[in-house]
Amino acid sequence: MKRYDLIVVGAGPAGLSAASEAASLGLGVAVFDENAKPGGQLFKQIHKFFGSKEHKAKMRGTAIGAELLDEAQRLGVEVFLNSPVVGLYDNREVLVRQGDAVQHYKGDGVIVATGANENILAFEGWTLPGVMGAGAAQTMMNINRVMPGKNILMLGSGNVGLVVGFQLLQAGSKLAAVVDAAPYIGGYGVHAAKIARTGVPFFLSHTIVKAEGIDRVTGAVIAQVDEKWNVIPGTEKSFEVDTICVAVGLSSSVELLKMAGCEMKKDGLGVIPIIDDDGETSVWGVFAAGDVSGIEEASAAMIEGRLSGLAAAGKLGFVGPEALKNRKEELLSALEGLRDGMFAPKNRGKSQDSTSEGLPVSKCLLANGFLDDSETFSYPGVKSVPGLHPVIECTQNIPCNPCQDACPKGCIKVEGKIIALPVFDEKSKCSGCGLCVASCSGQAIFLVNEDLGDGKAAVTIPYELLPLPAKGAVGTALGRSGAPLCPAVVTEVKLIGAFDHTALMTFTVPSKFAMTARFWKNEVPA
Amino acid sequence: MRIKSHPILGEVKPAKSLTFTFDGQQMLGLEGEPIAAALRAAGVMIHRYTKKRKDPRGLFCAIGRCTDCVMIVNGRPNVRTCVTPLEEGMIVKTQYGAGEASK
Repeated sequence: MKRYDLIVVGAGPAGLSAASEAASLGLGVAVFDENAKPGGQLFKQIHKFFGSKEHKAKMRGTAIGAELLDEAQRLGVEVFLNSPVVGLYDNREVLVRQGDAVQHYKGDGVIVATGANENILAFEGWTLPGVMGAGAAQTMMNINRVMPGKNILMLGSGNVGLVVGFQLLQAGSKLAAVVDAAPYIGGYGVHAAKIARTGVPFFLSHTIVKAEGIDRVTGAVIAQVDEKWNVIPGTEKSFEVDTICVAVGLSSSVELLKMAGCEMKKDGLGVIPIIDDDGETSVWGVFAAGDVSGIEEASAAMIEGRLSGLAAAGKLGFVGPEALKNRKEELLSALEGLRDGMFAPKNRGKSQDSTSEGLPVSKCLLANGFLDDSETFSYPGVKSVPGLHPVIECTQNIPCNPCQDACPKGCIKVEGKIIALPVFDEKSKCSGCGLCVASCSGQAIFLVNEDLGDGKAAVTIPYELLPLPAKGAVGTALGRSGAPLCPAVVTEVKLIGAFDHTALMTFTVPSKFAMTARFWKNEVPA
Repeated sequence: MRIKSHPILGEVKPAKSLTFTFDGQQMLGLEGEPIAAALRAAGVMIHRYTKKRKDPRGLFCAIGRCTDCVMIVNGRPNVRTCVTPLEEGMIVKTQYGAGEASK
């Protein structure tokens, strides 16, 4: 039986962070992962992350994954792939299936970072080929580079449904609709808005009635539900789709923790371990970090991992009390910043009626996925001034602030807490560099010149779809709801390294559409 | 259908083509991808039929959890095709019920 100072189960964001933190303090660390490739779900997360610099904000999950792997390798962490951990027993004995044999290992400390499973939803036809988890679709398109389907219905408007929904558009699929039984969008409004403005409809207070098809999905029927979640007869709507993606939440993958005898508590549909602020469970030396200890975002998982790695090092005598205390405070304060956000455990399920600034959260955004044109000026990022200026349509408390750092002219301020709404300082002078537009992980910043002098306005939007139009292309400007507004001529398409694959497309429209045109479609209006 | 170009991930890196059979029919896949990806790219949706109700099943979780995508691979039943890498010359068959090992 081989012994390690620390054994980490799972090579995702939490596990790799835990391993690196511990290895940097001198522990001999082994990481076991069942998959052929490390990184957990990070390499499927091709969107830019929220957060601040210290949370690796505005980096895409893929880049964060590469960075974490690099760090672990540099620090001498041993990562064993194709190595599912099948047992966690007394005194931190770890059983690992490697090849056709089961090997025994022993960890002085063990950190379980096994992540989460997708929840399922049973409905008529749900077992038909073509119904799949949203995570499955993400794996197929972003890892295997195979389209999950051509025409897709998304069930669930939480962040997974919204993020994967947009990624389906990026992969070249059509998104027929996003459906959720709840009356309000479950995820961040900005994630919904970037789908809505492309013309994808949201059906809130709707549920799926059935998937249609004999031996594969050929369609789907949805219907409106009342307050008691009962289908209202006569409200059925049919869609011709070949794929139905299910994004109805995640449950922590706690099997190993249960096996180890850790005390658990109820959480959502499943259970999570009872842990202290180091992530240590009720079993001495066994820690839980990341989604296995409660569903949060990857940015939180990485800090939780580091906290557990640090605590394990402290427990095993690899770090002195002073250094331990200082580093812990640093990590806890980073975590605290993230946990002010609307999806942090303490805020889950709370009413989202108003922001911490006391501004009303848009009902239209929550119910339809886009801001009503009349509401935008109530937010501090949206102001009408002469000349070129940013328009920041960020209207919920998101723990995120890269826009502030991106602007070399100091036009944008995220004051006080990281969750504060960004404020556009109208006295500053926008240079039009576009770095704020590309830095916004929610694709909620636009550059607008409301009056070019000839009755026209220029609108610059973030654009992450293919094909990129050529300069001079004539298309249609769409409003926030995705409704066509007017013809729009593309005057510039800019894609530089600093934008990290977010192209900035500028088009001109009649001035009266300056504050409403927010997307461009390669279609000439009828 | 394969995604050839992508706004974030860029062009697909060229990979070696592998030949395999699906229910006796010759097919092409790529080195490094799971069997299920090669099948999906070729338009194959049904991986197996359930034992009692003979219902068709296909790819569902794509990470080796749900076992809906199991097939008979090289004579061995219940192989999770979503996490099993494709190999040259593999014999992949639709699984009926629990899948008797073929000779």
